[in-house]
Amino acid sequence: MRNLLALSRVIDAFNEKFAVIANWLVLLSCLISAGNAFSRYAFSLSSNAWLEIQWYMFGAMILLGASYTLKKNEHVRVDIVYGHLSTRTQIWIDILGGILFLLPATIIIAWLAWPMFHNSYVQHEMSGNAGGLLRWPIKIMIPIGFWLLSLQGVSEIIKRIAMLTGHLPADVHYERPLQ
Amino acid sequence: MTRELMAPLMFGGLVVFMLIGYPVAFSLAAVGLFFGFWGIELGFFQIELLQALPERVFGIISNDLLLAIPFFTFMGAILERCGLAEDMLDSMGQLFGPVRGGLAYAVIIVGAILGAITGTVAASVIAMGMISLPIMMRYGYDMRLSTGVIAASGTITQLIPPSLVLVVLADQLGRSVGDMYAGAIGPSIVQILLFCAYIAVLSIMKPLAMPAVPLEARTLKGWPLIRKCLWGMIPSIVLIFLVLGTILMGLATPTEGGAMGAVGAIVLAVLHHKEFSRRGKIAAWVALAAITLLAIPAICVWQDAWMPAPLVAAGGAFLRVAQTPLFIVFYAALTVLLLEATFIVELRGLIREACGSTMRISAMVIFILVGSTVFGLVFRGVDGDLWIEHLLTSLPGGVTGFLIFVNVFVFFLAFFLDYFEIAFIIIPLLAPVATKLGIDLIWFGVLLGANMQTSFMHPPFGFALFYLRGVAPKEVKSSDIYWGAIPWVVLQLILVGILIFFPGLVTSFVNTGPTGTPSTIELQMDEQRNTAPDAEGKTEDDRAAADLEKAIREGK
Repeated sequence: MRNLLALSRVIDAFNEKFAVIANWLVLLSCLISAGNAFSRYAFSLSSNAWLEIQWYMFGAMILLGASYTLKKNEHVRVDIVYGHLSTRTQIWIDILGGILFLLPATIIIAWLAWPMFHNSYVQHEMSGNAGGLLRWPIKIMIPIGFWLLSLQGVSEIIKRIAMLTGHLPADVHYERPLQ
Repeated sequence: MTRELMAPLMFGGLVVFMLIGYPVAFSLAAVGLFFGFWGIELGFFQIELLQALPERVFGIISNDLLLAIPFFTFMGAILERCGLAEDMLDSMGQLFGPVRGGLAYAVIIVGAILGAITGTVAASVIAMGMISLPIMMRYGYDMRLSTGVIAASGTITQLIPPSLVLVVLADQLGRSVGDMYAGAIGPSIVQILLFCAYIAVLSIMKPLAMPAVPLEARTLKGWPLIRKCLWGMIPSIVLIFLVLGTILMGLATPTEGGAMGAVGAIVLAVLHHKEFSRRGKIAAWVALAAITLLAIPAICVWQDAWMPAPLVAAGGAFLRVAQTPLFIVFYAALTVLLLEATFIVELRGLIREACGSTMRISAMVIFILVGSTVFGLVFRGVDGDLWIEHLLTSLPGGVTGFLIFVNVFVFFLAFFLDYFEIAFIIIPLLAPVATKLGIDLIWFGVLLGANMQTSFMHPPFGFALFYLRGVAPKEVKSSDIYWGAIPWVVLQLILVGILIFFPGLVTSFVNTGPTGTPSTIELQMDEQRNTAPDAEGKTEDDRAAADLEKAIREGK
């Protein structure tokens, strides 16, 4: 158990690093997008590369940030039944959900997404827009993001099992995210 | 096992998997993949169907429109904590207080203004619950009335553009966000009037529930009060123009509008901070002057249909000469203000926190979309769309029957699901049927948007009530909050009824004229960038994926 928990801590720390990058991408993409709009108003200047970098950042933000969101237990649930269950049952739902729902889905998507990146990389695929960007840097984000999410899923399962066996204090506090 | 049974089974599986309580995004994906592999096993379709998945995920992240989600969320996260709402509530409360029911009117008006600036409910409800609720209690307002009006006025944010619900609905229905926003203006006004009318009627029927605040309670009078009101309003109106005005005029895409709004929100936070320096003040006035000089002729040119011709010509000429220099002045002032934000420690922390919560909310929302995409792909693979279409078109009552059914359905779903879950899971199933019945999708979307307001107000799970519970003083009983919400849910449903029978309220605001409408701008942008959505809201990638899907289906 101790080794598993150490692994879980390494995964958590790893994904937290990516979350910091994702946080900065929020601010950066805001400033770039506003800058794009402003430069078009004032000088009628617009560049496809700058327009595309906006959603490159958006994609990276989402895909790198999803695993940390999972760690913070902020992926929204339907809590009409879940909210009334005992902590132990909630932990069991999280363990089984992680093994049966999360891991198969993320691993399959990550695995299916690799050829898409690989083709794009081999063919030096470019954006269809004049002056657009190379496509593979964003396409590789999909397998990376889903692998990170799978890792975080493993870490969450380890932590839930440790809660059941008493190695960790049982804390499955869930609060519906703000909107 | 027949193919016809798969779709109903899959739908049942969706309900069961979601009720278990594991995060929706992954439950959805799991249902999709489970039935996907089962379908392949039974020979209903080939493995190629699932190989379309990564392309779909790529289609989601390359969708420019969804980029508006983090921007509007960020904007809300900043405004939530910068003190703007508090200032406005304070001054408005003093202005309207001495009228019977005045504090309630103030809450409705501030809720509407906040709704026009940002797209998130949490900000308005929390601010009003913290500021207005104690004041209303102190002056003897009925508890249920106070909590109800606060929750409902905060929720109206979801209907008033620039609301996130409308962005998500526009995306799912494949319509332009600008049109959706324009269509929501009429209903928003009607909703505000309905709320005010309800207060007015109650103030006559139950005057004791909402006493007038004694005049002596005013700490500000005359000019200082008016100045405080204006100081709260003017920057907000500038921000509304910057975001909503530019989107409606077709100058900016909703994404750019959101980004400018986010920058604007940081500036507003600077303006409202007490450590705001003299240099910043000068910069703010310069920026205000520049943007006013730009906005007035721009509005003349935009509304050229009914403006006097010389004014339009003069406005156009002025813009041609002065546009670039004025913009440069404006940007320079803006940069000074943004730099100011980085000097104030408290604001730096605020921005960092806002980035974090924005990232997590965006990831959560987009992953639901990813999950529902996996589900939808397989569901269409087993002809689930045809099944739903068959069910819904055979309803009695034709179009009205369909609309009433859909609205009742969404109303009850809203007890369990949040608006984006409804938008991502249910709307893609309903949209093709609505199109087939000849329903205007803008009207349909705004109608559903109005209906989804109730998802925030349903006791006991409604979000607005939940936030209010979090900030309300201890004397407020939960049962007061729940009972207080009910009349307002009824008012929201009245709006839905009005919209069903008077579609003109939505459609007449949608600008179909030839000059400068959002749709023409988007068409021009389409030519520049083929990843922009076409008239049906589909990108090239979407179409390629749809073609692939069709080919697989036909070759089944």
